[in-house]
Amino acid sequence: MLISVGLLVWALATSLQSAEGFAMVHELFTGFIAKFILWGILTALGYHLVAGIRHMIMDMGYFEELVSGRITAQISFVLGIVLSVLAGVWLW
Amino acid sequence: MVKMVKAAGTFGRSGTHDFVLLRASAIIMALYTIFMVSFLVSADTLNYAVWTNLFAHLGMKIFTMLALTSVLIHGWIGIWQVITDYVKISGLRAFIQFVVSVALIVYWLAGLLVVWPVEGV
Repeated sequence: MLISVGLLVWALATSLQSAEGFAMVHELFTGFIAKFILWGILTALGYHLVAGIRHMIMDMGYFEELVSGRITAQISFVLGIVLSVLAGVWLW
Repeated sequence: MVKMVKAAGTFGRSGTHDFVLLRASAIIMALYTIFMVSFLVSADTLNYAVWTNLFAHLGMKIFTMLALTSVLIHGWIGIWQVITDYVKISGLRAFIQFVVSVALIVYWLAGLLVVWPVEGV
């Protein structure tokens, strides 16, 4: 996630500082490589968010048994994949 | 009595402080992420004018810096929790903590210096 945020801050900085910078970033994101990297970032962020929410629910005492923990873990995997697919559809 | 263990690497004053800060920062970043994705997905035209006008608003600048502050706190505590579990060589652990913390501070500074002067078109 650290690398992801670094890249995003770089893109924000470049795109805001000048019209040329914006054009360069905008142009970059029409190419496959940048889209693939962004897709990776969004996938990682999506899963991190879902697992984080699950974790905060667990803080309240839920999903702490073997069965419930296992099921909600699998659900968070599925949700992470769903978000990743959505990000892919949006990017391509 | 509260601070028995002298943890120097993490961000919070105590384990409980870390626990709360980690979750509070997560909520702020989640809101910012939802806002930004919604904006980007729903923006029919996205050009330099639209983008700079968004960040010209004081509210957007504050929200962005709030998010970056949350990134700093979340990342710092998060990496501390990870490396205290997995990196048993204290010298290496200290180095990783240093590099990550500095990177997070640089992100924060970069964010501030970038959004501050944005005036829009």
